[in-house]
Amino acid sequence: MRSSIARALDGLTRGELSVLDALVVAGQTTDSELVAIVHAEPGYVAAVLDRLRGLALAWDSPEGLRPLSGISDALIGGRDAGVSGLRPCSSTPRPREEIVAAVAALPDGARRMLDHVVAEGGTAKSGSARIGLSPDDAETPAELLIALRLLVPGGSLLPGLLVVPGEVGLALRGGRTTTEPVDVVPEVASAERPSRLTLSAAAGAATDVVRRVELLLEWWGHRPAAALRTTGLGVRELKATAAHLQVGESEAALVVEVAGEAGLLGTRADADGNQVWVPTAEFDRWRALPTAERWSRLARAWLASPRLPSLVGERGPDQKPWNALTPELSAAGMPEAKAMALAALAELPEGHGLAAGTGLPSLVARLAWERPRRPRTRPDLVAWAVAEAAVLGITGAETLAPYARPLLAGEDPAPALAELLPPPVDHVLVQADLTAVAPGPLEPDLARQLQQVADVESHGAATVYRFTADSVRRALDAGWTAAELHAFVLAASRTPIPQPLSYLIDDVVRSFGRLRVGVASSFVRSEDEAALAALENHQKAAGLGLLRIAPTVLVSTVPIDVLLPRLRELGAAPVVEGPDGVVRVGAAEALRARTPRTREVADTARAAARQSAQVAAAVTALRDGDEAARNRPASASVAGGGVLSALRDAIERRGIVLIGFTDNQGVVAERAIRPLSVEGGQLTARDADAEPDDLDAERRYAVHRISRVVPTGT
Amino acid sequence: MQSDKSLLLEVDHPQAAECRKAIAPFAELERSPEHIHTYRLTPLGLWNARAAGHDAEQVVDTLLAYSRYPVPHALLVDVAETMARYGRLRLEKHPTHGLVLASSDRPVLEEVLRAKKIAGMLGSRLDDDTVAVHPSERGNLKQALLKLGWPAEDYAGYVDGEAHAIDLAEDGWTLRDYQRDAAESFWHGGSGVVVLPCGAGKTLVGAAAMAHARATTLILVTNTVSARQWKDELVRRTSLTPDEIGEYSGTVKEIRPVTIATYQVITTKRKGVYPHLELFDARDWGLIVYDEVHLLPAPIFRMTADLQARRRIGLTATLVREDGREGDVFSLIGPKRYDAPWKDIEAQGWIAPADCIEVRVSLPDASRMTYATAEPEERYRLAACTPEKVGVVRDLVTRHSGQPTLVIGQYLEQLEELATALDAPVITGQTPVKERQRLFDAFRSGEIGLLVVSKVANFSIDLPTAEVAIQVSGSFGSRQEEAQRLGRLLRPGDPGPDGERKIAHFYTIVARDTVDAEFAQNRQRFLAEQGYAYRIVDAGDELAGR
Repeated sequence: MRSSIARALDGLTRGELSVLDALVVAGQTTDSELVAIVHAEPGYVAAVLDRLRGLALAWDSPEGLRPLSGISDALIGGRDAGVSGLRPCSSTPRPREEIVAAVAALPDGARRMLDHVVAEGGTAKSGSARIGLSPDDAETPAELLIALRLLVPGGSLLPGLLVVPGEVGLALRGGRTTTEPVDVVPEVASAERPSRLTLSAAAGAATDVVRRVELLLEWWGHRPAAALRTTGLGVRELKATAAHLQVGESEAALVVEVAGEAGLLGTRADADGNQVWVPTAEFDRWRALPTAERWSRLARAWLASPRLPSLVGERGPDQKPWNALTPELSAAGMPEAKAMALAALAELPEGHGLAAGTGLPSLVARLAWERPRRPRTRPDLVAWAVAEAAVLGITGAETLAPYARPLLAGEDPAPALAELLPPPVDHVLVQADLTAVAPGPLEPDLARQLQQVADVESHGAATVYRFTADSVRRALDAGWTAAELHAFVLAASRTPIPQPLSYLIDDVVRSFGRLRVGVASSFVRSEDEAALAALENHQKAAGLGLLRIAPTVLVSTVPIDVLLPRLRELGAAPVVEGPDGVVRVGAAEALRARTPRTREVADTARAAARQSAQVAAAVTALRDGDEAARNRPASASVAGGGVLSALRDAIERRGIVLIGFTDNQGVVAERAIRPLSVEGGQLTARDADAEPDDLDAERRYAVHRISRVVPTGT
Repeated sequence: MQSDKSLLLEVDHPQAAECRKAIAPFAELERSPEHIHTYRLTPLGLWNARAAGHDAEQVVDTLLAYSRYPVPHALLVDVAETMARYGRLRLEKHPTHGLVLASSDRPVLEEVLRAKKIAGMLGSRLDDDTVAVHPSERGNLKQALLKLGWPAEDYAGYVDGEAHAIDLAEDGWTLRDYQRDAAESFWHGGSGVVVLPCGAGKTLVGAAAMAHARATTLILVTNTVSARQWKDELVRRTSLTPDEIGEYSGTVKEIRPVTIATYQVITTKRKGVYPHLELFDARDWGLIVYDEVHLLPAPIFRMTADLQARRRIGLTATLVREDGREGDVFSLIGPKRYDAPWKDIEAQGWIAPADCIEVRVSLPDASRMTYATAEPEERYRLAACTPEKVGVVRDLVTRHSGQPTLVIGQYLEQLEELATALDAPVITGQTPVKERQRLFDAFRSGEIGLLVVSKVANFSIDLPTAEVAIQVSGSFGSRQEEAQRLGRLLRPGDPGPDGERKIAHFYTIVARDTVDAEFAQNRQRFLAEQGYAYRIVDAGDELAGR
């Protein structure tokens, strides 16, 4: 019940809420009494009452007109929400003249207190004020007001509070619930705009947004944009997109969001399994439509969209910047804000738009009057709606475009827009500096073909293409032939083809395909061309995939270990050529297995000999070690407590040290390392001779196992 | 109007001339090929328009009035916003503090004061809206503010310099309309760059600027030969006498009311200092002329930053710097004050029409192999110096015998070889100045009909009689060199006896399918954008007399 009342109230204007508020103040009343206490034209109040009755917010009980119970609690918010702040009248109000006379006789202090309480919502704490005194015994202003029954105890509903009864509040406000009229609708500040300006700006923006969406999706079709884990679009991707579209980032975010809302954009996994944004299949259908219809699809999607592209780049409550295409980037109130803002613009006289500077605040004020209760973020939403509408070409020069009226009415705006759009042109002007200028929007087919053979240098209503060796090569890669290229340029150009362009095409064609690349697994070479010819045509060689690429060279699609035996089967006597062109000959190795290990018979003599050899080896190793130690650089070895500080020192100067340490097997070893960090008794270091990008070269050593450190430089 | 802020102008449209005039104050001409010219809106251009007294409304109205298609709203907003940034900061003279930076928009002032680059250039804060500026940092500050996007309007004015009477001596000749316009728009703008094609008489624009300034003048030129030409021209065209004009070069060091110095002598460094820097302070110069400003060496940029109180005029045919420092030229010397498409001046008959032909030779098979296996840095020289070119040059020279011809190249051995083959004198950097002068004079007088020259002849050498140039090699892909070389030919000669105007022939010989051809394409781009369409012919066809 309560929520349905709240919803019904949300749909009322401030004037309607004010009338309802007056009804609550009056309690049970008649139409004429209500008209008397609302500060508005009688006709207006009557019309509002009809509406309130229709919504069942007011009803006629046998005793009189009453508000639906529960409404007084639901009427919240200040004066902006049409709430007068007066308490309901007592069931048996005193005559107004009596109250007026009592108020007039109040001393200053008491009068100020009364005004203050009324202004603050009609209730006050009783505090130490005594109740039930006669006016003559009252010592404080509060006691006087209570004695005069201008403040009355709140009773069981508001225990401990004093209340100004509605009739007193009405008397203070001259018999009405408000001092200002409630039926004055705020005017939207407007200014007249030449329709030429509006049309030019709006139609320009409309074609631009269509072109940008196409450009964006065309681009993402070839170079998909990486999606964040939250499916949003990262800041870097947005920057790149803005640069590609030659617009600011906020406008780029809008283009991206509109494309998304129109169903032209979706995610899929790329080759590495990462989510990327790419155009949908719908994009292909959309781009085949005429410009006006494409625009109407985008504009409708935008109008119904709760998305907030204007927030992109701002920081959210968690201080993280908002990303485009993030699911959370929306507000339920946005579609209504758009519809109402544009409806308010549509109500302006023909040829009028928002006044510069004051227009937007007045529009916000107007919408605040029409829907005072929510949402709280309206000023932002309305400002965004107006700004986005301008980018989409729904408005131009802050004025509603004529073709946007059918859009708002739910009709098709395309025919009206189509009349304003320049007709597509079917030719370009080719110039000697190798540029081709399309002096207007090109026919889609021609545009697509041109894009294959030339690079777009600047876009707008017109397009500048530049022919380069790369672009011509791209066309050849796509299957164009030289003759087709020449013919296409000749047909597309209204001006004679400058000679440098013909030469450019011919030059590229000449070098195109000069090198040929293919796949082969092995080759067969022979000075004897006849032998190769015989081999190639041999019936049994069919399975070898032989292809003659030069008189003396055959390539095969099978690997050499298949080819070799098969050639021998065919009676040839091939030899293998190494990568350096040298012939490798070698008899096939006979097969052998590994010799199993057998336990040796104890042989003391041999064991003794082996032992003494081992001792000798150990001694030699030790002496070598001593020798090495003597030849070592003079830097002192650090041991014991100095180890840690020596390591820290090396980390700081990013130097190399030689450490002596005992490994997990108890073997003492020495190693040259580049210490990286010491933490928790563990040293992390890289091998000194490791490549910088070798990740495996990083090792950890327990510091307590390091016996000494010898600095050796960097 | 395109979304990258370029404007496309249809040349054949009946309103084209009118539109060109309307957009010229704020848009920069970028390319002018045959059908569609491209202009661009840049912040700098828009600010210059503001400086010249145009406001955003005029600019927007002009765009809307001439645009064939609806103009995107965002671009118009952008124009207005960009233009509104100009003049929030002002450089003013202050009775006690000399030069101050003042602002009517306190947040902007606060923003720039917080920029690190600016900090060292400013003195103490005088009040909330004013900061003292070290006078020597005037140029650097303006440059830095421009980079921050808050260009300062300079109200501090210019010093007049030491007065010196200079008048144009228009006896038997008059200043051409475009020369007068160029000098005037420079003078009203205070400082700046004038861009005119080679052969269109930039020296006279300099002389006209001097006549406006009527003050002592320092003229900076590229080399001694061109210094002499300036002197001769000034003596002939103005009231100045030879005694009033001094030459300051490696050999002579005269400081006179009008002094002509070479870039080279000023940038000579001895023991880490520039001994000739004193030249700038030697007199109270009222005007400084920078000839061939596209070649301005880096040290001069720094010196120029200290000269912001003096009027400066830069002259060039091609403001294309291969080092990309065009922005520095604009901010230190001044914005572009005048620019005219080459073809327009040609149409008025002030420069000769030119026929540009690229002749392609094929490398013989043996050379192709050498080329293919050569080190990358050797390839251009190999391709450019192929002996095949000699024969083609010889044939071309024969075809144009009787017409004064220049053969221009980069590599000395190649030039020597050509000189021997053609039996013609050769001028390179090693040729003594006197000898050069003699040969150029002989060429001018018609005594010699054929000269082989290296890049010393790229600039500022006035050879009005030249009708044919054959280019065999160049500095890789340098666009401005190509333009300068063509410029040698554009000086219009006297109409022949049959009243026919001279047509210049500009041949470039390139080796097919090599980097030589690639560089040639890059080099030709500037000329193609100026409307000089190249014809490509095969050496075989050309030799057959086609």
